[in-house]
Amino acid sequence: MKSLEDVIQAAAAKGQSAVDLLRNSQTGPNVYPGVPPEFTNWHDEQQAWQKTCVLFNLSFHMADLRVEGRDAVKLLSHLGINSFKNVPLDRAKQFVPCSHDGHVIGDVILFPLAADRFNLVGRIPALNWVQFHANSGGYDVRLELDERSAARKDPFNRKSYRFQIQGPAAMKVMEKVLGKPPPQIKFFHLCGMTIAGRQVGGLRHGMVGQPGFELFGPYAEGEAVREAIVRAGEEFGLRLVGGRAYSSNTLESGWIPSPLPAVYSGEKMKPYRQWLGADSYEARASIGGSFVSKKIEDYYLTPWDMGYGTFIDFDHDFVGREALQRMAKGPHRKKVTLALDEADVLRALGSQLEKGERAKFIEFPSAVYSMHPFDKVAARGKTVGVSTWIGYSSNERKMLTLAVLEPGHAEPGTEVTFVWGEENGGTSKPTVERHRQVEMKAIVSPVPYVEAVRKTYTDAGWRKAPVP
Amino acid sequence: MKHKSLEDLLKTAGNPVAMLRNSQIGAYVYPVVPGEFSNWRDEQAAWQKTAVLFDQSHHMVEQYVEGKDALKLFSWLGTNSFASFPVNRAKQLAPCSYGGHVIGDGILFHLEQNKLVFVGRAPAANWIEYHAQTGDWKVKTRKDDRSPGNPKGRAVARRNYRFQIQGPNATQVIEKLNRGPLPEIKFFNMGHIRIGKRKVRALRHGMAGAPGLEIWGPYAEREEIRAAIVEAGREFGLKEVGARAYATNTLESGWIPSPLPAIYTGEKMKDYRKWLPAASYEGTGSIGGSFNSSSIEDYYMTPYELGYGPFVKFDHDFIGREALEKKAVKPHRRKVTLAWNADDVIKAWRSMLEPGDPYKYVDLPLSNYTSASYDKLMKGGRQVGLSMFAGYSYNERSMLSLGVVDPDIALGDQVTLLWGEEGGGSKKTTVERHKQIEIRAVVSPAPYAKQARTSYAEGWRTKATA
Repeated sequence: MKSLEDVIQAAAAKGQSAVDLLRNSQTGPNVYPGVPPEFTNWHDEQQAWQKTCVLFNLSFHMADLRVEGRDAVKLLSHLGINSFKNVPLDRAKQFVPCSHDGHVIGDVILFPLAADRFNLVGRIPALNWVQFHANSGGYDVRLELDERSAARKDPFNRKSYRFQIQGPAAMKVMEKVLGKPPPQIKFFHLCGMTIAGRQVGGLRHGMVGQPGFELFGPYAEGEAVREAIVRAGEEFGLRLVGGRAYSSNTLESGWIPSPLPAVYSGEKMKPYRQWLGADSYEARASIGGSFVSKKIEDYYLTPWDMGYGTFIDFDHDFVGREALQRMAKGPHRKKVTLALDEADVLRALGSQLEKGERAKFIEFPSAVYSMHPFDKVAARGKTVGVSTWIGYSSNERKMLTLAVLEPGHAEPGTEVTFVWGEENGGTSKPTVERHRQVEMKAIVSPVPYVEAVRKTYTDAGWRKAPVP
Repeated sequence: MKHKSLEDLLKTAGNPVAMLRNSQIGAYVYPVVPGEFSNWRDEQAAWQKTAVLFDQSHHMVEQYVEGKDALKLFSWLGTNSFASFPVNRAKQLAPCSYGGHVIGDGILFHLEQNKLVFVGRAPAANWIEYHAQTGDWKVKTRKDDRSPGNPKGRAVARRNYRFQIQGPNATQVIEKLNRGPLPEIKFFNMGHIRIGKRKVRALRHGMAGAPGLEIWGPYAEREEIRAAIVEAGREFGLKEVGARAYATNTLESGWIPSPLPAIYTGEKMKDYRKWLPAASYEGTGSIGGSFNSSSIEDYYMTPYELGYGPFVKFDHDFIGREALEKKAVKPHRRKVTLAWNADDVIKAWRSMLEPGDPYKYVDLPLSNYTSASYDKLMKGGRQVGLSMFAGYSYNERSMLSLGVVDPDIALGDQVTLLWGEEGGGSKKTTVERHKQIEIRAVVSPAPYAKQARTSYAEGWRTKATA
């Protein structure tokens, strides 16, 4: 087998759908590489991003794709739902390519390096899609892919380091390490800085309402830059964040990291599937959770599902435009946070200490056990959405999930049912032990959880009192 | 400047208890091996139900001693008898201080005439190296240190790979690899098996009654050997065990891996402390838990307490002999498994979902947060022992810990384990602010056996808990 299409056809010949294939992927745990599970302990590491500040090391788990040449803008504009009319050099943007049917393929950050030179950073599916079009569409561009650590023979020989400094004290640490106030630039704007004598690229970022920076530069200089930041951060309580806490930060900030690339179906996507290798991310990806549909399309997300409706600009021609125009008038599902019921969470956890079949183990702080979690969210026995990420927040003292719900059930305060674990004892994914499915009550909450909760609710609000 | 020694460090640190309780070393890491190959639940289940491959290539020190006096040296350090210890035999070695307290333990392999290797945690290896280098012995030493906890992308190289094949189906896996019957090797004896085109050295080992093998060879061959074992083991349900599950296997087999080395006190140990670097395991390691005594000696363990009493033989001269001869005739604390009360464990977890300081987090499957754990065991307001290694067994559906209890504490007794540290917790990086919690525990045999479940059938462990 050479291509993703071959893999899908071979499965079909055995009576298995793409859903069966991905839900029973044998790829195994999705490791967050390059950093230890904990630098100190994950509780304190989580709390530091709300209380002091943290250094995230993003140097290993994402891929970089350099796109350079006369047709670079043309190519990206043809694939992105966003407008490319005006691409200032001092601003990054979220780049969200969709399939012909208007479903999200991936979601990455686009860094302009020059008028005809860009760097795309994120999970590989969006970058694969760009490569495919660059190669097959006759564009005058040169590409350079720098794969994530897990997908390379030399995992720690990346082109760039990439850190984020986040949390309420982030700017104080930046000021100390820079020896002067950090550049006053707006969210997602870019700048250059000098740290430890090295030129460092900066992207103004932020988390839970607090300004922060993403920092990047040549990989070999990463350690010196990191050490300087750690030293500067000491007096401000900066903590390094390990692999266990890292992937749970998005539960508080509300970004969905794991849309299933919408590439497994559709005749128009077939040439792409034939181009994608049998060992590509897409062929090895896993889906996990209680949401089961025969149709792989039911796992696809629209830009509106992910909160990117406002990025869509019909001022240009792009793949998926027609489909998105048809969808535009709605109704759209809505991204929410689910806060899981304490007693139900404890019942599932406690089953580990009981006779009888246990619930799927709830790992702390990230309870994700597949590359693309899809858990069923129901109301009165009817599926009303899917949950796509799950874990514990030591800051909020809650198990939280990021979900996409039908509009009628997406109002904060609504009670829904979250179904945890897989049917019939579980699929054959290596990360799945035999277990029984359990239901948990969940309260629909705003996204991002923290910021919105702080603004909208006082201390005496619904988080302490029963929900009205 | 001369390298700082442990003795220098202790002079400035004051009480060694305070120093070690507030160590900044972080978690005791089982390095390099992935956290999970599949998931730790199934990996734990496999060692009771099918077969497992343990990768022990990284977390232990190898201390080689070679020369005419090698055996004599080990006989001088070991409490065990060396009357009969031929080549191709191994033994558990638990050297003691002059005061008769355990410094560390591990396995001593008699590899060739006058060539031995000790494999285990650092403290016993350091003690061996010290005596070999400073004593009047005709020996040469060579140390192969454990792998770094956080390699940061740098290549890791050990002298040997070291694997164990264990579990009820281990025999079938080994016979398939060996293309013939399991070689007749007695427990803790060494022989060879065939793996692919290689002849591999093997130590007969075993867990929970089922035979198993420990095998080792040049590190460069590790992936080839691993691949062969995984391939052969597939039809027998063999699972590779990741770092998270690995450390917990001892909860079921009953070995306490982490006594505090008894080296921080005593005039006779001073020269050793001067020899040991400040940056050694002994200088940087951590102790933690609810047991907080101002005297470091209260953390020391005798070989009797750790279950090594039967190994102590006064047929030879060895360091600690006099002290142990006195101790031998007195009653001893003894090693047990503590089976934690489910309701109390759930109470600890519940606190994470409630406002205010939570109880100390009970991580799964390994709950230790320090190099050497010491939690108080109480009964009727009196301290009756210590809990020293804690975690969850998917097989037993229980939190278990290994510890020592006073002679008058019987199997089946309920004791209270005080989990967490006082005053919100020490300054160890692994310690979040927390409250202490009393966890009821049933005193059970070590190794923890099915017998425990059946003979305490009326107890809380068979009742529904939630």
